[in-house]
Amino acid sequence: MKIKLFPKNEQELSKLFVLIFPLTLLLSLTISFLKNAYFTFANLLPNNSVFNYGFLDRLDTQAALGLVFGASLCLSFSYLFSKSLGRSMVLFPIVFLTLLGVVGTEFLDILVNFFFQNSAYDLGNSSLLILLKILVVFGLFGLSTLNLLVKKEASIFASAQFIYGAVVFYLISLFIVRAELNVFSDIFLVNSLYTGTHIYVGVAFIYMAIVHFLMTRPLKAVLFNKTLSSITFWGFLFLLPWTNFKYYYGSVLPNWIENISIYLSMSLVVPLLAFLVNYIKTIQSKEVEEVRSLNLLNFSVVLFSITTIFHMISSFENLLPILGITNFVNVITYGLVGSLVLATISLSYYLIPKLYGREVAYSRLEDITFFGFKISYLLLLINNTLLGVNSGYSWNAGANTGSPTIYGEGFGIVWSLIGINFSVNTFISLVLLGSGFLYLISVLRAVSSGSITTVEEMVYSNE
Amino acid sequence: MSDLVNKVAEILNAPVDLVQRSAEARATASGVSVDDVLNSWAGGESVAASASPAPKKEVSVEEVVEEVSVEEVVEETVEERTEEFIKEAEPQEFIEEVVEEIVELKNESALSFISGVLLVGLFTFLFAFVIPKNQATDIVSDSLNNSVSASSEVIKGAEVYAELNCQSCHTQNVRTLIPDTQNGKVLKNKFANETLINNVGNIRLGPDLSTSATREPTNNSQWLTRYLSDSTSVNRDIPHPSYDFLDDDDLEYLITYLLSLGESNE
Repeated sequence: MKIKLFPKNEQELSKLFVLIFPLTLLLSLTISFLKNAYFTFANLLPNNSVFNYGFLDRLDTQAALGLVFGASLCLSFSYLFSKSLGRSMVLFPIVFLTLLGVVGTEFLDILVNFFFQNSAYDLGNSSLLILLKILVVFGLFGLSTLNLLVKKEASIFASAQFIYGAVVFYLISLFIVRAELNVFSDIFLVNSLYTGTHIYVGVAFIYMAIVHFLMTRPLKAVLFNKTLSSITFWGFLFLLPWTNFKYYYGSVLPNWIENISIYLSMSLVVPLLAFLVNYIKTIQSKEVEEVRSLNLLNFSVVLFSITTIFHMISSFENLLPILGITNFVNVITYGLVGSLVLATISLSYYLIPKLYGREVAYSRLEDITFFGFKISYLLLLINNTLLGVNSGYSWNAGANTGSPTIYGEGFGIVWSLIGINFSVNTFISLVLLGSGFLYLISVLRAVSSGSITTVEEMVYSNE
Repeated sequence: MSDLVNKVAEILNAPVDLVQRSAEARATASGVSVDDVLNSWAGGESVAASASPAPKKEVSVEEVVEEVSVEEVVEETVEERTEEFIKEAEPQEFIEEVVEEIVELKNESALSFISGVLLVGLFTFLFAFVIPKNQATDIVSDSLNNSVSASSEVIKGAEVYAELNCQSCHTQNVRTLIPDTQNGKVLKNKFANETLINNVGNIRLGPDLSTSATREPTNNSQWLTRYLSDSTSVNRDIPHPSYDFLDDDDLEYLITYLLSLGESNE
């Protein structure tokens, strides 16, 4: 295993991110497990300034939606972007520094919160850190624009389109999060649009970029229809940012934006169908029968589809009072992040032989890892849907349930319904943590002692 | 069967009926008589390709190909002749293929793609953020009793609340939905300190705290001190973190803030 400190090309840079991704995932899954454990066993475990649910929840959000997202973005950008444009990247040393900056600032965000938790609020969105993030992501936006403008391929392959969309909306989300809060509705606007741009568009588009690559090149299949891929791209790009407002139905947000959100969420069926038809027809044209590295790909598409269907179903007006501002809102995030993680794991297994020249021995270790991830993300989706529906129903079922009373019987009723779901969440996050650990072991084993194979050569030039 | 056919069959060493059918096909395609074809196969002049067309409808490519397969069996000489038909029939198909390739290689402009993405981004930012934000601010400006005043202790308490991330479980957002209004007074849009706005929360796992200061026991500072320092001393069954690690000042600020809830959100 040989990794250069200063990579000279996209291939060497991708090698670095193939190793960084499992590390970031393991960190995120560890924090997630601790968070769930501290929610379920808050009375039993000793609380301090770090180990308490509130702090761990904030750290979990930063790790999953900041660090893991950043690592996936960098891996897909370093490997897929130049491939999609048919040339090596212009200003490669700056691209390298910028991508390191993306992962670096997200990691720094976690460190700052961890070591200066008492000042976390002061170090929040108006801090130097967020300005640094904006600078780095703006740099990435500029570099990706430049590379697109000097492309060599006649058409822009779907992966590059999705990566570019993700970068642009990631940048927009950082501007939104810095907005000044003047009236109460501002916080709902900021939260909704931040979720819509960063999580829904950002995470979903990096996922799409990876899927559009994995369903063609490794399987030697031809993209079924470019128009369908364009409908998927523009449909999701236009609709997804608007879809979170609906969960604040009945709050102080302007009514028109809640209604638009409801209708646009239902319209997600168009890009979803376009994507599914394109995916199924493309997979049917494959020439390679079985690619073990893509074991998780089909499952990730199922997970993504279920998530989007939940997104549409939750738009019905009679369901919104029950589902809004409950844990159900997190189901969409879990589904999208889960799909991204599964697709990135597939990509990393595909890349190890290509980049490191080492075969992955698909043994029982990998089978257990794949099974662990699949079952955990599916259960996470089902369990949190039940949790959201039950808590929303019980909060709305009768007077006083939503407010603390003398004997606390209100929350007692709710907890008797949802307590088991939180315990299951803790168990699922433990399985995920175990799978994340096995995944890291598997990657390290493959790159260090896998049998030797031919390394892929990228032979692009800028001439 | 004429003598000419028999002669040609003998020359070509092929069955008579096959030679007859091949000659008829060739004659139809070339617009000449069967005898002329047979003559040419028997050693006469070759059949001119530009001969005037036969009055019948044109022979399709498939028919010619079928004849080729028959003539393959007959003899090499016949094969050469039929190849001419194929060559004549092919150009139309070839042109179609070239047109398809041109469509596939159509250049996709990076500039228009980039402009499209940026336009959608700008549209989203304007219509989903800037316009509703300004609209809400204008409406609140025009209304009476439009701001929440809070003392510096309350603001400090709100900051402790935000640092502990209490808003990850507790909302202060009673919606205008009938079942929700039973939880307290509906949140009205008002100007407020940024920290107070930030504490409204997104997910309701624990009880809503909008009017916690107007209810028992959460309107009691001693009860709050006991509950926040050691939640198990009040109720062991419900999971709530104990904030015994907070210093006295921060705990006091937090309680001051919690006791203000109900006024600010009214």
